Amino acid sequence: MTATFTILTPTPSRSIFFFSTRMAEDNKALAQGLKRRDPDILDQLIEQYQYRLFRYLLYLTSSRERAEDFFQETWIRVLERGHQYDGKFKFEAWLFRIARNLVIDWQRQKKMQSLDALTDPEQGAPMEFAAQNEPSPLLLVLTAEEKSGVHASLDRIPTVYREVLLLRFQEELGLEEIAGVLAAPLSTVKSRLYRGLEALRGAMQGGAA
Amino acid sequence: MKAYLHARAEKLIAQERVEGISPAERDWLGGHLRECSNCAQVAQQTSAALRALRGMSIPLPRGLAARTQFRVQLRAQELREREPKRRLLWIMCAMSWALGIATAPYVWRAFEWAGERIGVPRLVWEMGFGLWWTIPALVAAVVVLMENARLANENDPSA
Repeated sequence: MTATFTILTPTPSRSIFFFSTRMAEDNKALAQGLKRRDPDILDQLIEQYQYRLFRYLLYLTSSRERAEDFFQETWIRVLERGHQYDGKFKFEAWLFRIARNLVIDWQRQKKMQSLDALTDPEQGAPMEFAAQNEPSPLLLVLTAEEKSGVHASLDRIPTVYREVLLLRFQEELGLEEIAGVLAAPLSTVKSRLYRGLEALRGAMQGGAA
Repeated sequence: MKAYLHARAEKLIAQERVEGISPAERDWLGGHLRECSNCAQVAQQTSAALRALRGMSIPLPRGLAARTQFRVQLRAQELREREPKRRLLWIMCAMSWALGIATAPYVWRAFEWAGERIGVPRLVWEMGFGLWWTIPALVAAVVVLMENARLANENDPSA
Protein backbone atom coordinates (compact mmCIF):
# COMPACT_ATOMS: atom_id res chain seq x y z
CA MET A 1 0.00 0.00 0.00
CA THR A 2 1.37 3.40 -0.83
CA ALA A 3 1.22 6.56 1.21
CA THR A 4 -1.52 8.89 0.09
CA PHE A 5 -0.22 12.21 1.36
CA THR A 6 2.59 14.37 0.10
CA ILE A 7 5.05 16.58 1.90
CA LEU A 8 4.52 20.17 0.87
CA THR A 9 7.22 22.75 0.62
CA PRO A 10 6.04 26.33 0.28
CA THR A 11 7.25 28.23 -2.77
CA PRO A 12 6.77 31.95 -3.30
CA SER A 13 4.77 31.37 -6.50
CA ARG A 14 1.99 29.52 -4.69
CA SER A 15 -0.70 31.58 -3.09
CA ILE A 16 -1.29 31.25 0.64
CA PHE A 17 -4.86 30.15 -0.02
CA PHE A 18 -3.79 27.36 -2.33
CA PHE A 19 -1.12 26.26 0.13
CA SER A 20 -3.47 26.17 3.09
CA THR A 21 -6.11 24.31 1.07
CA ARG A 22 -3.56 21.72 0.00
CA MET A 23 -2.34 21.44 3.56
CA ALA A 24 -5.88 20.85 4.83
CA GLU A 25 -6.37 18.18 2.14
CA ASP A 26 -3.09 16.55 3.12
CA ASN A 27 -4.04 16.60 6.78
CA LYS A 28 -7.34 14.92 5.93
CA ALA A 29 -5.57 12.25 3.89
CA LEU A 30 -3.17 11.80 6.77
CA ALA A 31 -6.05 11.48 9.25
CA GLN A 32 -7.67 8.82 7.07
CA GLY A 33 -4.37 6.95 6.81
CA LEU A 34 -3.93 7.03 10.57
CA LYS A 35 -7.47 5.80 11.07
CA ARG A 36 -6.67 2.84 8.81
CA ARG A 37 -3.36 2.33 10.66
CA ASP A 38 -1.65 2.41 7.29
CA PRO A 39 1.90 1.10 7.93
CA ASP A 40 3.43 3.03 5.02
CA ILE A 41 2.10 6.33 6.31
CA LEU A 42 3.38 5.60 9.80
CA ASP A 43 6.82 4.67 8.46
CA GLN A 44 6.94 7.87 6.45
CA LEU A 45 5.83 9.98 9.41
CA ILE A 46 8.46 8.44 11.70
CA GLU A 47 11.14 9.27 9.14
CA GLN A 48 9.82 12.75 8.56
CA TYR A 49 9.40 13.81 12.18
CA GLN A 50 12.19 11.84 13.86
CA TYR A 51 14.52 14.78 14.33
CA ARG A 52 11.90 17.27 15.51
CA LEU A 53 10.21 14.87 17.90
CA PHE A 54 13.47 13.62 19.36
CA ARG A 55 14.75 17.17 19.83
CA TYR A 56 11.53 18.19 21.57
CA LEU A 57 11.66 15.15 23.86
CA LEU A 58 15.34 15.63 24.60
CA TYR A 59 14.79 19.20 25.73
CA LEU A 60 11.71 18.17 27.68
CA THR A 61 13.31 15.27 29.54
CA SER A 62 16.99 16.33 29.49
CA SER A 63 17.86 12.66 29.06
CA ARG A 64 18.85 10.91 25.86
CA GLU A 65 17.72 7.45 27.00
CA ARG A 66 14.42 8.74 28.28
CA ALA A 67 13.87 10.73 25.09
CA GLU A 68 14.49 7.58 23.02
CA ASP A 69 11.97 5.62 25.12
CA PHE A 70 9.36 8.33 24.82
CA PHE A 71 10.05 8.67 21.11
CA GLN A 72 9.08 5.05 20.56
CA GLU A 73 6.13 5.22 22.93
CA THR A 74 4.85 8.33 21.18
CA TRP A 75 4.69 6.53 17.85
CA ILE A 76 3.00 3.50 19.42
CA ARG A 77 0.43 5.93 20.83
CA VAL A 78 0.04 7.53 17.38
CA LEU A 79 -0.68 4.08 15.96
CA GLU A 80 -3.20 3.23 18.66
CA ARG A 81 -4.96 6.57 18.78
CA GLY A 82 -4.59 7.60 15.17
CA HIS A 83 -8.36 7.69 14.81
CA GLN A 84 -8.43 10.67 17.21
CA TYR A 85 -6.50 12.90 14.78
CA ASP A 86 -9.12 14.71 12.71
CA GLY A 87 -6.79 16.63 10.41
CA LYS A 88 -8.10 20.04 11.44
CA PHE A 89 -4.77 21.07 12.95
CA LYS A 90 -1.16 20.50 12.06
CA PHE A 91 -0.06 16.94 12.62
CA GLU A 92 3.05 18.01 14.52
CA ALA A 93 0.98 19.89 17.11
CA TRP A 94 -0.99 16.70 17.79
CA LEU A 95 2.22 14.66 17.83
CA PHE A 96 3.92 16.96 20.33
CA ARG A 97 0.85 16.92 22.52
CA ILE A 98 0.92 13.12 22.68
CA ALA A 99 4.63 13.16 23.49
CA ARG A 100 4.14 15.81 26.15
CA ASN A 101 1.28 13.91 27.80
CA LEU A 102 3.42 10.78 27.97
CA VAL A 103 6.22 12.71 29.68
CA ILE A 104 3.77 14.31 32.12
CA ASP A 105 2.22 10.92 32.97
CA TRP A 106 5.67 9.51 33.62
CA GLN A 107 6.66 12.48 35.77
CA ARG A 108 3.46 12.16 37.80
CA GLN A 109 4.06 8.46 38.30
CA LYS A 110 7.68 9.09 39.29
CA LYS A 111 6.60 11.77 41.74
CA MET A 112 4.00 9.50 43.30
CA GLN A 113 6.51 6.68 43.65
CA SER A 114 9.01 9.09 45.18
CA LEU A 115 6.42 10.35 47.64
CA ASP A 116 5.59 6.76 48.55
CA ALA A 117 9.26 6.13 49.21
CA LEU A 118 9.41 9.20 51.41
CA THR A 119 6.39 8.29 53.47
CA ASP A 120 6.78 4.54 53.62
CA PRO A 121 9.84 3.44 55.64
CA GLU A 122 9.48 -0.10 54.20
CA GLN A 123 10.45 1.25 50.77
CA GLY A 124 14.07 1.76 51.79
CA ALA A 125 16.21 4.86 51.70
CA PRO A 126 14.46 8.22 51.34
CA MET A 127 14.50 9.99 47.98
CA GLU A 128 17.71 11.85 47.18
CA PHE A 129 17.68 14.96 45.08
CA ALA A 130 20.46 15.55 42.56
CA ALA A 131 22.97 18.17 43.61
CA GLN A 132 22.18 21.56 42.10
CA ASN A 133 25.71 22.12 40.78
CA GLU A 134 25.92 18.77 38.98
CA PRO A 135 25.67 18.94 35.17
CA SER A 136 22.31 17.84 33.78
CA PRO A 137 22.10 14.70 31.60
CA LEU A 138 21.46 16.99 28.63
CA LEU A 139 24.78 18.75 29.09
CA LEU A 140 26.55 15.42 29.45
CA VAL A 141 25.55 14.31 25.94
CA LEU A 142 26.74 17.50 24.27
CA THR A 143 30.17 18.18 22.89
CA ALA A 144 32.40 20.85 24.45
CA GLU A 145 31.53 23.27 21.66
CA GLU A 146 27.81 22.76 22.14
CA LYS A 147 28.08 23.13 25.90
CA SER A 148 29.34 26.67 25.59
CA GLY A 149 26.62 27.78 23.18
CA VAL A 150 22.86 27.96 22.99
CA HIS A 151 22.45 24.41 24.35
CA ALA A 152 24.00 25.39 27.64
CA SER A 153 21.95 28.58 27.75
CA LEU A 154 18.76 26.61 27.15
CA ASP A 155 19.72 24.17 29.84
CA ARG A 156 19.98 27.02 32.31
CA ILE A 157 16.41 28.20 31.83
CA PRO A 158 13.34 26.50 33.34
CA THR A 159 11.71 23.72 31.28
CA VAL A 160 8.38 25.55 30.91
CA TYR A 161 10.13 28.43 29.13
CA ARG A 162 12.48 26.19 27.18
CA GLU A 163 9.54 24.23 25.85
CA VAL A 164 7.60 27.22 24.48
CA LEU A 165 10.76 28.73 22.97
CA LEU A 166 11.42 25.50 21.11
CA LEU A 167 7.85 25.17 19.90
CA ARG A 168 7.71 28.77 18.72
CA PHE A 169 11.14 29.43 17.27
CA GLN A 170 12.34 25.99 16.22
CA GLU A 171 9.10 24.23 15.36
CA GLU A 172 7.57 27.49 14.11
CA LEU A 173 4.19 26.62 15.62
CA GLY A 174 1.59 29.36 15.94
CA LEU A 175 0.59 30.67 19.36
CA GLU A 176 -2.75 28.86 19.24
CA GLU A 177 -1.09 25.62 18.18
CA ILE A 178 1.30 25.90 21.11
CA ALA A 179 -1.67 26.51 23.40
CA GLY A 180 -3.16 23.30 21.99
CA VAL A 181 0.02 21.31 22.64
CA LEU A 182 0.30 22.65 26.18
CA ALA A 183 -3.46 22.53 26.84
CA ALA A 184 -3.00 26.02 28.30
CA PRO A 185 -4.66 29.39 27.63
CA LEU A 186 -3.16 31.68 24.98
CA SER A 187 -2.28 34.25 27.64
CA THR A 188 -0.14 31.67 29.47
CA VAL A 189 1.68 30.79 26.26
CA LYS A 190 2.42 34.46 25.56
CA SER A 191 3.64 35.21 29.06
CA ARG A 192 5.88 32.11 29.02
CA LEU A 193 7.29 33.17 25.67
CA TYR A 194 8.11 36.68 26.89
CA ARG A 195 9.71 35.39 30.06
CA GLY A 196 11.50 32.63 28.17
CA LEU A 197 12.90 35.08 25.65
CA GLU A 198 14.18 37.29 28.45
CA ALA A 199 15.63 34.28 30.29
CA LEU A 200 17.34 33.01 27.11
CA ARG A 201 18.88 36.39 26.40
CA GLY A 202 20.04 36.61 29.99
CA ALA A 203 21.43 33.07 29.95
CA MET A 204 23.30 33.67 26.68
CA GLN A 205 24.78 36.88 28.02
CA GLY A 206 25.74 35.05 31.19
CA GLY A 207 27.34 32.27 29.18
CA ALA A 208 29.25 34.67 27.01
CA ALA A 209 30.49 36.69 29.96
CA MET B 1 15.84 59.88 27.13
CA LYS B 2 13.00 58.90 29.42
CA ALA B 3 12.94 55.44 31.03
CA TYR B 4 9.44 54.57 29.81
CA LEU B 5 10.61 54.91 26.20
CA HIS B 6 13.29 52.26 26.79
CA ALA B 7 10.73 50.04 28.52
CA ARG B 8 8.38 50.42 25.56
CA ALA B 9 11.20 49.65 23.13
CA GLU B 10 12.18 46.49 25.03
CA LYS B 11 8.57 45.38 25.15
CA LEU B 12 8.20 45.90 21.39
CA ILE B 13 11.46 44.06 20.67
CA ALA B 14 10.07 40.97 22.37
CA GLN B 15 6.55 41.44 21.03
CA GLU B 16 7.82 41.66 17.46
CA ARG B 17 9.30 38.15 17.81
CA VAL B 18 6.43 36.60 19.76
CA GLU B 19 3.19 37.92 18.24
CA GLY B 20 4.18 40.67 15.83
CA ILE B 21 3.75 44.47 15.94
CA SER B 22 1.90 47.02 13.82
CA PRO B 23 3.72 49.03 11.08
CA ALA B 24 3.41 52.19 13.21
CA GLU B 25 5.02 50.44 16.17
CA ARG B 26 7.76 49.11 13.89
CA ASP B 27 8.48 52.62 12.62
CA TRP B 28 8.64 53.97 16.15
CA LEU B 29 10.90 51.11 17.27
CA GLY B 30 13.22 51.59 14.27
CA GLY B 31 13.55 55.28 15.09
CA HIS B 32 14.25 54.57 18.75
CA LEU B 33 16.85 51.90 18.00
CA ARG B 34 18.72 54.33 15.72
CA GLU B 35 19.00 56.78 18.61
CA CYS B 36 19.46 54.43 21.58
CA SER B 37 22.51 52.20 21.59
CA ASN B 38 21.41 50.27 24.71
CA CYS B 39 18.07 49.24 23.20
CA ALA B 40 19.79 48.49 19.88
CA GLN B 41 22.07 46.13 21.78
CA VAL B 42 19.06 44.41 23.40
CA ALA B 43 17.54 43.97 19.92
CA GLN B 44 20.80 42.53 18.60
CA GLN B 45 21.13 40.16 21.56
CA THR B 46 17.55 38.97 21.09
CA SER B 47 18.11 38.37 17.39
CA ALA B 48 21.38 36.57 18.08
CA ALA B 49 19.74 34.35 20.71
CA LEU B 50 16.93 33.38 18.36
CA ARG B 51 19.33 32.83 15.46
CA ALA B 52 21.37 30.51 17.64
CA LEU B 53 18.21 28.74 18.82
CA ARG B 54 17.02 28.19 15.25
CA GLY B 55 20.42 27.03 14.06
CA MET B 56 20.96 24.66 16.95
CA SER B 57 21.28 20.95 16.18
CA ILE B 58 21.38 17.81 18.28
CA PRO B 59 22.83 14.42 17.37
CA LEU B 60 20.13 11.90 16.48
CA PRO B 61 20.63 8.35 17.87
CA ARG B 62 21.65 5.94 15.15
CA GLY B 63 18.86 3.64 13.97
CA LEU B 64 16.20 5.28 16.12
CA ALA B 65 13.70 5.56 13.28
CA ALA B 66 14.30 1.98 12.13
CA ARG B 67 13.91 0.60 15.66
CA THR B 68 10.74 2.59 16.13
CA GLN B 69 9.32 1.53 12.78
CA PHE B 70 9.97 -2.09 13.73
CA ARG B 71 8.21 -1.71 17.10
CA VAL B 72 5.29 0.12 15.52
CA GLN B 73 4.89 -2.61 12.88
CA LEU B 74 4.88 -5.29 15.57
CA ARG B 75 2.28 -3.42 17.56
CA ALA B 76 0.18 -2.86 14.42
CA GLN B 77 0.28 -6.59 13.74
CA GLU B 78 -0.78 -7.31 17.32
CA LEU B 79 -3.68 -4.90 17.01
CA ARG B 80 -4.72 -6.41 13.68
CA GLU B 81 -4.71 -9.88 15.23
CA ARG B 82 -6.75 -8.66 18.18
CA GLU B 83 -9.30 -6.85 16.03
CA PRO B 84 -11.41 -9.96 15.11
CA LYS B 85 -11.61 -10.93 18.82
CA ARG B 86 -12.82 -7.48 19.74
CA ARG B 87 -15.31 -7.50 16.89
CA LEU B 88 -16.54 -10.92 18.00
CA LEU B 89 -17.04 -9.60 21.53
CA TRP B 90 -19.19 -6.73 20.25
CA ILE B 91 -21.18 -9.06 17.99
CA MET B 92 -21.79 -11.39 20.92
CA CYS B 93 -22.88 -8.48 23.10
CA ALA B 94 -25.27 -7.26 20.42
CA MET B 95 -26.69 -10.76 19.89
CA SER B 96 -27.04 -11.26 23.62
CA TRP B 97 -28.91 -7.96 23.92
CA ALA B 98 -31.21 -8.77 20.99
CA LEU B 99 -31.95 -12.26 22.29
CA GLY B 100 -32.52 -10.85 25.77
CA ILE B 101 -35.13 -8.45 24.41
CA ALA B 102 -36.81 -11.11 22.27
CA THR B 103 -36.98 -13.72 25.00
CA ALA B 104 -37.77 -11.42 27.94
CA PRO B 105 -41.52 -12.26 28.13
CA TYR B 106 -40.84 -16.01 28.04
CA VAL B 107 -38.03 -15.78 30.60
CA TRP B 108 -40.29 -13.67 32.82
CA ARG B 109 -42.92 -16.39 32.71
CA ALA B 110 -40.28 -19.05 33.35
CA PHE B 111 -39.04 -17.18 36.42
CA GLU B 112 -42.61 -16.67 37.59
CA TRP B 113 -43.41 -20.37 37.17
CA ALA B 114 -40.17 -21.46 38.89
CA GLY B 115 -40.76 -18.97 41.71
CA GLU B 116 -44.25 -20.33 42.35
CA ARG B 117 -43.06 -23.93 42.19
CA ILE B 118 -40.21 -23.35 44.64
CA GLY B 119 -42.34 -21.04 46.73
CA VAL B 120 -40.04 -18.03 46.89
CA PRO B 121 -41.46 -14.51 47.38
CA ARG B 122 -42.31 -12.55 44.22
CA LEU B 123 -39.57 -9.97 44.95
CA VAL B 124 -36.88 -12.68 44.95
CA TRP B 125 -37.69 -14.16 41.55
CA GLU B 126 -38.13 -10.65 40.12
CA MET B 127 -34.63 -9.81 41.35
CA GLY B 128 -33.40 -13.05 39.82
CA PHE B 129 -34.89 -12.00 36.51
CA GLY B 130 -33.14 -8.61 36.77
CA LEU B 131 -29.83 -10.32 37.52
CA TRP B 132 -30.26 -12.65 34.56
CA TRP B 133 -30.57 -9.53 32.40
CA THR B 134 -27.44 -7.81 33.75
CA ILE B 135 -25.07 -10.81 33.71
CA PRO B 136 -24.05 -10.56 29.98
CA ALA B 137 -23.40 -6.82 30.34
CA LEU B 138 -21.35 -7.39 33.50
CA VAL B 139 -19.25 -10.10 31.84
CA ALA B 140 -18.61 -7.85 28.80
CA ALA B 141 -17.67 -4.93 31.08
CA VAL B 142 -15.20 -7.08 33.03
CA VAL B 143 -13.62 -8.35 29.80
CA VAL B 144 -13.24 -4.81 28.40
CA LEU B 145 -11.81 -3.46 31.69
CA MET B 146 -9.29 -6.31 31.90
CA GLU B 147 -8.27 -5.71 28.30
CA ASN B 148 -7.78 -1.97 28.94
CA ALA B 149 -5.73 -2.62 32.09
CA ARG B 150 -3.52 -5.05 30.16
CA LEU B 151 -3.03 -2.50 27.36
CA ALA B 152 -2.14 0.22 29.88
CA ASN B 153 0.50 -2.04 31.45
CA GLU B 154 1.96 -2.89 28.05
CA ASN B 155 2.16 0.78 27.08
CA ASP B 156 3.76 2.03 30.30
CA PRO B 157 7.21 3.31 29.26
CA SER B 158 8.44 3.39 32.85
CA ALA B 159 7.58 -0.26 33.42
